Amino acid sequence: MKGSMFAIVGGAFLTLQGVANTRISESIGTWQTAILTQFTGFLAAFVTLLFIRDTRRGGFRAVKPLYLAGGAFAAIIISSNITAIQQIGVTLTVAILMIAQLCLTFLIDSNGWFGVTRQKMKLPQFLGIAMMIAGVVILKL
Amino acid sequence: MLVGMALALLAGSLISLQNIFNSKVNERVGSWATTTFVLGMGFLASLLMGLLTQGSHLLEVGQMQPWFWFSGLIGVGVVTSLVQAMKRLRPTFAISIVLTAQLGFALWWDSMGWMGLDKIPFTVHHLFGVLMIIGGMLVFKWSGQSHRA
Repeated sequence: MKGSMFAIVGGAFLTLQGVANTRISESIGTWQTAILTQFTGFLAAFVTLLFIRDTRRGGFRAVKPLYLAGGAFAAIIISSNITAIQQIGVTLTVAILMIAQLCLTFLIDSNGWFGVTRQKMKLPQFLGIAMMIAGVVILKL
Repeated sequence: MLVGMALALLAGSLISLQNIFNSKVNERVGSWATTTFVLGMGFLASLLMGLLTQGSHLLEVGQMQPWFWFSGLIGVGVVTSLVQAMKRLRPTFAISIVLTAQLGFALWWDSMGWMGLDKIPFTVHHLFGVLMIIGGMLVFKWSGQSHRA
């Protein structure tokens, strides 16, 4: 239940982030927006970290270098998201984001990549993705 | 139009990769250390991309509004919520809920024309398209459920 609440709030924040970034980029530019939001976010998280010292087993040295690079994707995610929202609107952008995310997450799950527990891909799951793509086509009509 | 759709595909793929990578970092380091690190990496990558594409023009910013300085707090909310959700739920299940919430809020804000967005009135065919997407997602989620703890 607590996990689901975090997931809903996370979803709302993700859409809010895209909308707010699009608005900010109209005033100061796209890369500037990415730099500003990541930097202010970093500062806020860093200050919190100083009060909540929650570093635990292993530390950064125990993390595979590849996984440490995840944060850097934000530069491309933010700029692509802003341009997409400007061109096709929030709903369509989020709908396509959704399909890409589900397809890739499921590809990762079904192959057990990155040490994720392996899941079997079933026919209904292809049907689900097909329905989602049909939904995007309907939105575009 | 096609460029916008391709960029949305790219962003979505990178988001799901980032979620998995961040949860791997979180297994070894605390949540706040993970959040701080992820946003710091995002900042450095954005700065590098900005300098590569615009050089010194990067500093020629237009009109800043006070709330722009606080928009980064949304990023803190995103990373902490998603890391917590991924820690408690299976990746596919967690992301299914995240996506439904994302789409619901997107529809709401598009139809209100919130924050200077081009207002897209909520019509029956938008409703049908969105229900189809949510339906597809539920089919996807439920059919995978039998494998999950």
